[in-house]
Amino acid sequence: MPDLFTYRNSLPEQPGADGPLSGMRVAVQPNLSVNGWPCNAGSHALAGYTALADATTVARLTRSGAVLIGSSHMAELGFGLADDTIIQIIADGRAELALITDTMGEARVAASGAGLFGFKPSYGLISRCGLMGLVPSMECIGLVAADPARIGRALAVMAGSDPDDPSMPDDCAAGFSADLPPITAQPTAGIVAEWLEGLNAAERSAFESSLARLDAMGIATRQVNLAPSGLFRDAHQVIAAVEASSSAGKYDGVRYGHRSASGKNWNEMYLNTRAESFGPLIKPFLFQGAYFQFENYSAFENACRIRGRLMRAVTDLLAQVDMLVLPTRRPAHDPGRATTIEETYDAFGLALPANLTGHPVLQVPDPTLAAGTDLGLQLIGRRLDDARLLSIGRQMSSIAGEGC
Amino acid sequence: MKYEAVIGLEIHVQLNAATKLFCDCPNRPGDEPNRNICPVCLWLPGVFPQLSREALEKGVLACLALNCVIQPESAFDQKVYYYPDLPKGYQLSQHHKPLARNGWVDIVAADGQVKRLRIHHVHLEEDVAKLLHETEGRTPISLVDFNRAGTPLIEIVSEPDMRDPHDAMEYIKALRDQLRYTGSAECSLEQGTLRVDANVSLRPLGSKALNTKVEIKNMNAIRNVGDAIAYEITRQTECLEKGEPIVMHTRLWDPEKKVTTPMRAKFEGPCVPDPSVARIVIDDAWLEAVRQRLPEMPAHKAARFMDAYALTAEEAAAVSAERDLSEFFEAVVAHALPPRKVAGWIAGQLFSALKERNRSVGETRLTAARFAELLNLVEREVINTQAAREVLIRLLDSDAPLEEIVEKGGFRQISDTTDLEALVQRVLADHPADVQDFRNGNPKVLGFLMGQAMKTSQGKANPKLLKEMLAKRLG
Repeated sequence: MPDLFTYRNSLPEQPGADGPLSGMRVAVQPNLSVNGWPCNAGSHALAGYTALADATTVARLTRSGAVLIGSSHMAELGFGLADDTIIQIIADGRAELALITDTMGEARVAASGAGLFGFKPSYGLISRCGLMGLVPSMECIGLVAADPARIGRALAVMAGSDPDDPSMPDDCAAGFSADLPPITAQPTAGIVAEWLEGLNAAERSAFESSLARLDAMGIATRQVNLAPSGLFRDAHQVIAAVEASSSAGKYDGVRYGHRSASGKNWNEMYLNTRAESFGPLIKPFLFQGAYFQFENYSAFENACRIRGRLMRAVTDLLAQVDMLVLPTRRPAHDPGRATTIEETYDAFGLALPANLTGHPVLQVPDPTLAAGTDLGLQLIGRRLDDARLLSIGRQMSSIAGEGC
Repeated sequence: MKYEAVIGLEIHVQLNAATKLFCDCPNRPGDEPNRNICPVCLWLPGVFPQLSREALEKGVLACLALNCVIQPESAFDQKVYYYPDLPKGYQLSQHHKPLARNGWVDIVAADGQVKRLRIHHVHLEEDVAKLLHETEGRTPISLVDFNRAGTPLIEIVSEPDMRDPHDAMEYIKALRDQLRYTGSAECSLEQGTLRVDANVSLRPLGSKALNTKVEIKNMNAIRNVGDAIAYEITRQTECLEKGEPIVMHTRLWDPEKKVTTPMRAKFEGPCVPDPSVARIVIDDAWLEAVRQRLPEMPAHKAARFMDAYALTAEEAAAVSAERDLSEFFEAVVAHALPPRKVAGWIAGQLFSALKERNRSVGETRLTAARFAELLNLVEREVINTQAAREVLIRLLDSDAPLEEIVEKGGFRQISDTTDLEALVQRVLADHPADVQDFRNGNPKVLGFLMGQAMKTSQGKANPKLLKEMLAKRLG
């Protein structure tokens, strides 16, 4: 069996500091900076790069007693989940918490395939300092664990204002409390009809049966309407490709990583380096971004406008219902096997709306099903309503545990 | 056909903040290469830029000095281009939401009329790294110095309101004087803390069209900007007369040959909003606090000097062009000296003495009180003008009592009539032919004899008395 790790902490048994997370074993991807660890973000362009400092979140976790056990293999620059091994590390019980960069739903989709909880917090709640990102306006460190309360405890440590990440919005400064609130008034959930349009009959019936668990909790569901899911996907793809194309410029491969030996002059050397560094999935994605940047900028501007409208529409819907529910993934579209941009987007089509709008979203597994057949259930909540989502998730898991 | 030039300038000004724009590295690009660097200005993965408050304040102060409207909200974009001086592939600049818009400066145009030149906008941006090309040796190598990477700049983009090289040079001078007043920037073309790109196009006189423009770079003196624009106007006129189309491109000014030559343009791309840099939101209270620090601007000050001290326009402009000298002027005048005389001394003697030594008045030992004391000695005819000039030079580096400098240097004026009489006698005796010439009706000889007498007295004779006595003697 190939090694699941790209780097292992040589002192994983060492007990962590005293603190709320004392002894919690955490696995990370190699795009999250841990001082002295190799951080290649899964890319040849960063080959051999060693982090110079801890990411803010990493420092906060270890200070609170968590133990970082190592980093996994990952898809190049966190675009999708191809070749990613982090979920296997946690599914095997080697870690209690996995941090997976969630740009189009990676943390949730990976969690649903393994029967785990996966959480993408409100955009801006967690510092991105030390994250070697690709799509700054959508990506977020996602948390994956078997227990939503554990996610809540870790999030409480990780969240809150960070002077090293001045991009965090003011409303996130206070952070997040570890005490999940009791659910008082019965929450309501909306089902967006347009988001289910692509599902086949089997997927629909699986989704409907998972709604039974909401019923059992007394959560009333009703149908609501929104723009078609394709619009979310298109806006995500255009904006993400443009941001990726721009951000990936940093990973030049010349000052660190792979550096081409060929080229008549340094301009050619730079070009050859980039050509040799980026892999077959990310390269066309960067080309797409460059196309919109240089040849069709108005399409990018339109995508930004559409994104603004979709954010407002989702926010408005969430004023009528407490959350939106939808499946996490379609099992036929395996993100681990996606080799093209289209296949990658197909695998994350249901997960990416929350990245586009920045709302918090929790993936809830159905423990009555074998891992791998479960579609997963996503609960999208109001901005900064992260704690309530985790509370509902906890209650759902306890109901399921009673053999519902 | 008669053509009219349409000129717009894009001016980069380096702010003199203590740190770089997005990190705490010292803002000293001239230090030993790659001394002032950190992960942020090296653009290493995972770090976030953090806007310097001081740079923002200095930028805002500069915009206010140019009469701009500060925008309540501004934001940074990633300006994409690939070049080894920018290895991260984008420069942080404000494209969509600049710091300030709609400013202006007034100049005196070639026809003597005051002309208002509009500023389209001013934005903040970071400077890029500096490339050093080592061409000597067998294998030429290129080196990158990151000291300059992240240096805070403002870019001031004018409207195309200028019509001739004079307008452009006066615009730069006015802008430079106003920015220097704020203390936010040094603004030296020679040092590269102010860099000018000129856009020049032509149109038939009377037309309102904006035609294809050509950009000119590499002018490192104000005079060069004027020369380069003049050259470009001539070149484009010849093109049009020959029926050749004007093609948009960039040209470099060659200060040796005094021509512009086409250069290969850098590959320059679009501007994408950067969600990782905090937006700048400016509230009224903070803006008001910065505005309070804005000093009186040179044009306003010059007008006040004409009013309050009865200076001529030229005198007022001369003593108000630099803030420290203008303040020095007022401090000297406060010692009850005639303002026009003070202005003459500052604009004439002091200004050139400082310029020769490349120092500001604050960097010398000279104080307003000592300068006033010196002018008083001239007023009271204790020393003459020529001696005073020399004493002034000594005052730049000395704290010794003025009396002592005058006595030790032998600067005291000879006003004793017996001494002067002896001097006159001697000069007349030494130049009998010239005396005869004068008496034969050539009045010019008096000047020559005066010069000889002053020279004999080693410049110390009281010139007024000497002239009277000489004239009387020649009778």
